[in-house]
Amino acid sequence: MGSEFPPQSLNEMLSFKVTPSILTPRLGNLAIAGRKAISTPHYIPSSSRGIVPHISHDVMRDHTAIGSLFVGLEDFVERQNLKEQLPPAYTIPTTQGESALRKFISLPDDLLLVMGARREPPIQCPPSNTPNSVAIYTAVGFRQLEAPQYIDAVRSLNPDIVVGLADLVLGHTPGVKRRGKMVDRTHAFTTHATEQLYGTAENRSKTAYFAPVLPLDNAQQSIYMDDLEDELRPYVSGLALYESASLSAISEPLGDLPRLLFSGPKTPHDVLRDVSLGADLLTIPFIAVCSDAGIALDFTFSANTTTTNRQPMAYDLWSSSYITDTSTLSESCQCYTCRNHHRAYIHHLLSAKEMLAWTLLQIHNHHTMDTFFSQIRESIARNTFEANVQAFQRAYVSELPEPTGQGPRLRGYQLPASGANQPRRFPRVYGRLDDAVERFTESQSSVATPDTGADGLEEHGFARKEKS
Amino acid sequence: MSTATPAPTRKPMPSALTLDLHAKCSTTKARASTLHLPHGSVPLPIFMPVATQASLKGLTYDQLKQSGCMLCLNNTYHLGLKPGQAVLDAVGGAHKLQGWDRNILTDSGGFQMVSLLKLATVTEEGVRFLSPHDGTPMLLTPEHSISLQNSIGSDIIMQLDDVIATTSPDHARIHEAMERSVRWLDRCIEAHKYPERQNLFCIIQGGLDLELRKQCCEEMVARDTPGIAIGGLSGGEAKEDFCRVVDTCTGLLPDQKPRYVMGVGYPEDLIVGVALGADMFDCVWPTRTARFGNAVVPTGTLNLRHRSYAKDFRPVQEDCTCNVCRPKEQGGLGLTRAYIHHLTAKETVGAHLLTIHNVYYQLSLMGSARQAILEDRFPAFLREFFGKLYGEKTNYPNWVVEALRGVGVDLIVDP
Repeated sequence: MGSEFPPQSLNEMLSFKVTPSILTPRLGNLAIAGRKAISTPHYIPSSSRGIVPHISHDVMRDHTAIGSLFVGLEDFVERQNLKEQLPPAYTIPTTQGESALRKFISLPDDLLLVMGARREPPIQCPPSNTPNSVAIYTAVGFRQLEAPQYIDAVRSLNPDIVVGLADLVLGHTPGVKRRGKMVDRTHAFTTHATEQLYGTAENRSKTAYFAPVLPLDNAQQSIYMDDLEDELRPYVSGLALYESASLSAISEPLGDLPRLLFSGPKTPHDVLRDVSLGADLLTIPFIAVCSDAGIALDFTFSANTTTTNRQPMAYDLWSSSYITDTSTLSESCQCYTCRNHHRAYIHHLLSAKEMLAWTLLQIHNHHTMDTFFSQIRESIARNTFEANVQAFQRAYVSELPEPTGQGPRLRGYQLPASGANQPRRFPRVYGRLDDAVERFTESQSSVATPDTGADGLEEHGFARKEKS
Repeated sequence: MSTATPAPTRKPMPSALTLDLHAKCSTTKARASTLHLPHGSVPLPIFMPVATQASLKGLTYDQLKQSGCMLCLNNTYHLGLKPGQAVLDAVGGAHKLQGWDRNILTDSGGFQMVSLLKLATVTEEGVRFLSPHDGTPMLLTPEHSISLQNSIGSDIIMQLDDVIATTSPDHARIHEAMERSVRWLDRCIEAHKYPERQNLFCIIQGGLDLELRKQCCEEMVARDTPGIAIGGLSGGEAKEDFCRVVDTCTGLLPDQKPRYVMGVGYPEDLIVGVALGADMFDCVWPTRTARFGNAVVPTGTLNLRHRSYAKDFRPVQEDCTCNVCRPKEQGGLGLTRAYIHHLTAKETVGAHLLTIHNVYYQLSLMGSARQAILEDRFPAFLREFFGKLYGEKTNYPNWVVEALRGVGVDLIVDP
């Protein structure tokens, strides 16, 4: 291996057409045999336990344009893989070439399925990674996922794309020694996995391998990067990056590979920055965070720049100003939510703690993001991207609104592990010895209890105050 | 009787519904009909899912429509608290609030008061209770309830009745409640602003005392409301008593009015209720149990949270034609028990999927009962249904056998 031309990837399933470039916004087309092709730049929706939170399969099929999904293996391997006790997803009967993971989740055949070891965004695990494994957080607790187990998972589950294991440090900046270890371990993971998956011609995995690029300076991981360019290059179909800065670490020989970025953008401005640096695929945690918090996204990339005041990019439907507001979430939005419902209803659903609120917001927020990315692609094609980004920055404020309302009850695996002396996550519901309070609590759980006083009730026409 | 005497001055009672009675079972009292309401026609007998707070537990209204639902419930008590009358008026009623263009039925809010009875007392004027937040004494009257339901704009509205547990040992109180419900019905009729587009149903009370129930039927039928409900049941009474009350009441009600048994939802109760001549039922059980991970199937319920389903790759119910169970090749989602096990109690979608299945199950069960009545093979349908549900004849509950014997079907003796 190692010819004078950049060697083509051995994977015949995936093709990525792009003008190889570095640190410029670029258009591409990612096609995997049998799946819907994806025009890039685009985002990949994150899933929890196989579904986009609050969006059931039929809603996804009928009312969203979701064509790809990022799935964390940790959602599917709860107990250690004992030989006789394979996780359920591994054991579903499949036909030749069919993905067990796709079948287990019952995803559409043409949906592009990307698998990583961890959910996106990952939650920090107290146990640290080892030279041979990474720590994962399943619904029943922490465990180590060993490198060979991850390869087994790829072989058994057959996702379209797998993001290679990386030794990442969450929650703090790693020290010098740890950074060295990160590179060594990740290098070993990648070498081992590509060898195992693609080393022999007769049993070559059809899953495309996205090799991780560590969130470190280029100099620190130069040996690894050199190997990616050379020895490992035929086995690698794409790159997985963990911070925007890594986009500048990509050298020319790797320039034609699709780049999947897990930088956790906080705002649409961050998304634009990543696109301008040449990201092809992004994961965007703030979509689901906003939906859970009752926040509707409301921005477009072709924004009107004539307004003098900078507009908010989203608004909080918990606010009482929407109680009787029968307008759609965004003007001229054509999503299912906006075609059928109005702000007053979503405000009502949020305050009544009805699950439908989050479903409708997820549909709208994903649609807003779809539109945003399609406008980004048009803008790049028109060569007006830089100017449009500046106009966007002038048109909108820099931050999304802070959440005020309550979201869905979070499950253990969705929250950081609790340490010693932490306050309770949720208020205690049972066990109070005050009879009156207990009765109200009970009535709250079975029957709605008014959250307004007597005057409010009278105003609502519910009952009238008695004259004493 | 000391209830208000049927006065000639009583307001005429227009009706915003028509009932086409298609067929009556030649053996039992079961009926098949179509109820034409302002927002579309409803095949009876029917089960009505409960969208308590103007939302059916996570389902979009298109998902609900796909289950075939033509009529669902909202709770007046809940909508009165949230979003409240002023908002309902401003938005233009509950249909516009929730984007549902089919029919809605609302209860009166009285039942929820019973659940809070320790905080509430019933007087002739209305339900007196202390505002839970500030302790101010308040009064909910029949006029309040009707006014709220007028603002909600539901197609069927219920009178405020004096609900007390049927199991109450205080016979005098039950008698009083029955008579008061009749008097309150008169006040509700008087207060009802839109009889030409909202159908007011009366609610037969009288506890488990058949004599009281008969008196109540007589009084209420005389008031000629568009439909009639049998209330105060499903409060923990013996099933035998429940059947006796339904049987007695349907025997006294006119054929041309829909009969609604409130708060009933277990499949066996629905089917026995149909055999006893009732048309409409509602209950939160199928949707609530879905959120706890239970699927309703012909053989009972499956608790899909149990580990034994972790690798069960069959659909929730074999041959079910709901979106969840139908295979992908037939346009369904082809979901397995194993995957719902993977989601349930962890992701809201797990609840959504089982809610879809359970609502569909209940509606299609009523659909097949209706078909059987139309083809006059309802007794055979009863045998098949209970055979699947209980298996061996020795497992059949006595109340089912007795209730059906009363309408001419003996499940134990093969025909």
